[in-house]
Amino acid sequence: MKRTTFTAMCLAGLLCVTARADETCMSPYMAKIVGQEDFVYIWTLGMVGVGDEQDKLVTVDVNPKSKNFGKVVDQVSVGGRNEAHHTGLTDDRQFLWATALDTSRMFIFDVHTDPAKPKLVRTIEDFVKTSGGVVGPHTSYALPGRMLLTGLSNNKDHGGRTAMVQYTNDGEYVSTTWMPIDGALQGAVKTGKFADGYGYDARALPRLNVLVTSSFTGWNNYMMNLGKLMADAEAMKHFGNTAVVWDLHTLQPKKIFDMPGAPLELRCAWGANHNYCFTATALTSKIWLMYLDDAGEWQAKAVADIGDASKIPLPVDISISAEDDLLWVDTWNDGKVHLYDIRDPHAPKQVFEQQIGEQLNMVSESWDGKRVYFTSSLLANWDKTTSTGGDLQFFKLYAWDGKALKQQFSIDFVKEKLGAPHQMRFGAYSLYGQKPPAGQLAQQ
Amino acid sequence: MTVWRVALAAAVLAASGATCAAEHQHPAPTVLAPGYFALEFPAPVPGTYQLPPLRAAADGAVLDDSGHTRHLYDFMGDRVVLLSFIYTTCSDVNGCPLAAYVLKRVQDRAVTDPNLRAKLRIVSLSFDPQHDTPAVMAEYGARLRAPGFDWAFLTTASDDVLKPTLDAYDQSVYRDESGAVSHILRVMLIDEQHRVRNIYSVSFLHADTVLSDVQSLLLESLQSPQ
Repeated sequence: MKRTTFTAMCLAGLLCVTARADETCMSPYMAKIVGQEDFVYIWTLGMVGVGDEQDKLVTVDVNPKSKNFGKVVDQVSVGGRNEAHHTGLTDDRQFLWATALDTSRMFIFDVHTDPAKPKLVRTIEDFVKTSGGVVGPHTSYALPGRMLLTGLSNNKDHGGRTAMVQYTNDGEYVSTTWMPIDGALQGAVKTGKFADGYGYDARALPRLNVLVTSSFTGWNNYMMNLGKLMADAEAMKHFGNTAVVWDLHTLQPKKIFDMPGAPLELRCAWGANHNYCFTATALTSKIWLMYLDDAGEWQAKAVADIGDASKIPLPVDISISAEDDLLWVDTWNDGKVHLYDIRDPHAPKQVFEQQIGEQLNMVSESWDGKRVYFTSSLLANWDKTTSTGGDLQFFKLYAWDGKALKQQFSIDFVKEKLGAPHQMRFGAYSLYGQKPPAGQLAQQ
Repeated sequence: MTVWRVALAAAVLAASGATCAAEHQHPAPTVLAPGYFALEFPAPVPGTYQLPPLRAAADGAVLDDSGHTRHLYDFMGDRVVLLSFIYTTCSDVNGCPLAAYVLKRVQDRAVTDPNLRAKLRIVSLSFDPQHDTPAVMAEYGARLRAPGFDWAFLTTASDDVLKPTLDAYDQSVYRDESGAVSHILRVMLIDEQHRVRNIYSVSFLHADTVLSDVQSLLLESLQSPQ
């Protein structure tokens, strides 16, 4: 098969087990690009004084054979600033859902009709009302024919109590499932001190019928200026301290683990016998492992430190390789990426570290692990505003050869009048049986 | 892949009528879908969980395996339905052959249970009407259908007739330059009120979980008679 993406196998089977990992950080239900991606879609926060100041979906051509390699080829502004944050693709990869933490709006883009020019086809304005009071849709996780949205907050007190909400792929509400909390454990076993009802990310291990969720903080905190927040002892008490193991099929919580310090992104292993998932805690700077023990029980434990916790490096995004041997970890505050050898998941070892920028948030790998993309922005009110080197808000591509990261290009999102770049997702013509327009490829 | 797994894959392909000619176009996956093996977790207990309606199940013009013009709704409403979009020349062992394997296992269990036998129907609808004529579907069905079980094998008169149905069920299908078909595997669970209640893709399609869901809908129907 000569196509650069093995979409026939992936679309039909969705078990693309031939290579590595952003592609590995998405739902296993989804079609994967295992060759060269053509585009990266970057959900970008609008910034006051920058361009049209609106949130926007920015499309960058990342195919090195393209005449537009490393260039912004499209941008779609969505109207105002909504605290643009994460995005997710539907299981058939036809649509990209982009969520907003402040206004709770959800923007659905058609990315299949013309992968180079995503089109905003629907905006869901009534998420809070329809979901029964959930605020701050965060993760958009593909399930078969539907999307699972994790919330961060609620409309009663704007704290961290929240829920997961399901929608059909075309944007129709399905159900709301509140996170287990003291007094409403919903049959879950509380293994430690906490059952806080908070939410953040979600990932599935379908083979084991497991969904795992993590916990961050509510609207009151994530919309607060970071300096003010850090100085507010009472506010700092309101961060998530739990991760939950769920029955994926029934969406019933099974076990609640203490995980102090806001566990954020979750990544589950891909191996046929690898029964575990990783997360990193933002405030306590640790890698945590959730795993199935020999007795068939799910357990959780801290397995590694990330930088010097006393300096609050603030681990944010993580990315696991498809072969479950490497884990990239970004630390936002110092702008570094750390690479861990996770072949022994119970004892990850840092094997590489590099400065990427003045702040660093998201990391996305290509399926073969050879290309690593980075963006800088965390939250509008938490991002650094004073630059020491003109490298605050960027989208960068690095090549990874197994030993070193070599920068391929960098786009300054402020200089380009775009905003603050956050979540990245990949696109490819071949996912949809399409070819690049005639003349676009410099090297055929 | 172990020898016995290769043998299983070959047996599944043979049973589903897949052609070997396409093998070189679609590299054999090294891991078979969970649906081919024993479930690694206890199947959910019917009636202990919710299956919220996902969408309305659409109607559409179809041809039965005798070539008669019918409506998809002719095969819904009186029973719980498992609707699978397939094409008979599919060579990806984790694609249509997986659906055939799992649905046959569902059928094998259902034929021994009078309640399931009376209240469950499987519908396989081809999205390759050019090749999958009613006669081809009849031959394909003869290899899979157990005597007396209600498993309908349908096709359509043309791609144009089929398209609205595929669109209504969000079943994306693409053809590459060589004409090879790419699609996302989906099996729909449809209740007696024409509502899609679950959607199964390759990582999720297993006879045990499908049967739990079917029985959950039948229990629900008993508790809320129409």
